[in-house]
Amino acid sequence: MIEVFTSPLAWLTLSLLLFELAKALSARIKNPAANPLLMTALMLGTILVTTGTPLEDYESGGAFLTLMLTPATVALAIPIYRQRETLRRNLLPILAGTLVGSVVSVVSVFVLSRTMNLDWTVLAALLPKSVTLAIAMPLAESLGGLSAVTVVAVSITGIGGAVILPPFLKLLKIRDPIATGIAIGTASHAVGTSRALELGETEGAMSSLAIGITGLMTAVIITIISVFL
Amino acid sequence: MNLLRQIALLFTVCVAGELISVLSGRLLPGNVLGMVLLLVLLLTSRLRPEAVENTADFFLNNMAFFFLPSTLGILRIYEQIQSELVKLAVICLVTTLLTAASVGWTVVLVRRLQQKGAKKS
Repeated sequence: MIEVFTSPLAWLTLSLLLFELAKALSARIKNPAANPLLMTALMLGTILVTTGTPLEDYESGGAFLTLMLTPATVALAIPIYRQRETLRRNLLPILAGTLVGSVVSVVSVFVLSRTMNLDWTVLAALLPKSVTLAIAMPLAESLGGLSAVTVVAVSITGIGGAVILPPFLKLLKIRDPIATGIAIGTASHAVGTSRALELGETEGAMSSLAIGITGLMTAVIITIISVFL
Repeated sequence: MNLLRQIALLFTVCVAGELISVLSGRLLPGNVLGMVLLLVLLLTSRLRPEAVENTADFFLNNMAFFFLPSTLGILRIYEQIQSELVKLAVICLVTTLLTAASVGWTVVLVRRLQQKGAKKS
């Protein structure tokens, strides 16, 4: 009878139910750190550990979700398409900003990681951290990085960025909403964008455009790097 | 458009992106190429947004959920990286600030140059 609760469908169902619960909690708590994904992962993780269930058992149901990541990434084309007028009108600032941001991100991560003597598997996993997770994971893997570390890095970047970037940019006297939006989107992708949307429509639109374009730019940069390795 | 047909279209673009990725020697990941391909198809009006948008919106609005197994993967390596977590957090936050600052200034600069150019003409 226990198979009913450990079937692939059961794991999927549990994931769905816990996620719904986490979303409800997140709506109450109103702190960007109270992220539904993190909370669900913690709850599921606790269940797996306390029941002594190996991760592979969960994977029988979870693998389906990972499979859906590819269509989810490809779907990012739609918001970019919907914003094509905004993109067209601000093409140069967006391209310049995301290019500079992608380069600065990769270079600064490399330099800091080397300074702190991090292992290559960790360093490589950190390089794409300012890119949305769906694109960052395959990029990290292509360099031989641990994709699980990428998940951590991207989460910290997104959530941390959402919290500190608006006040930080204000401190730097950057008031242009277009600049603010592109900066937030390039540096802290989707979680940052949800915060940018709170700041204003322009900031939000720019930020969401920056996610896809930064993803593309960073992918190219990382490919160039991998050629030299 | 019928949902199943939308899914079929979206998934076809995914596979096509993967194919291009492999054929081009893995220059870019398949999902990035798929995203570019879909964008090109939409911009050139080869594909109408209605042909995929309900499905696409479903994936986009619930994207976080699909990352659940990947996030759980952290459990597997937690002991390995436990000692490095502080370093990771520092690197992430510092580089995020540097990145955002550089982007902000670049955009401000570019916009200022554009406005000067517009004034001259």
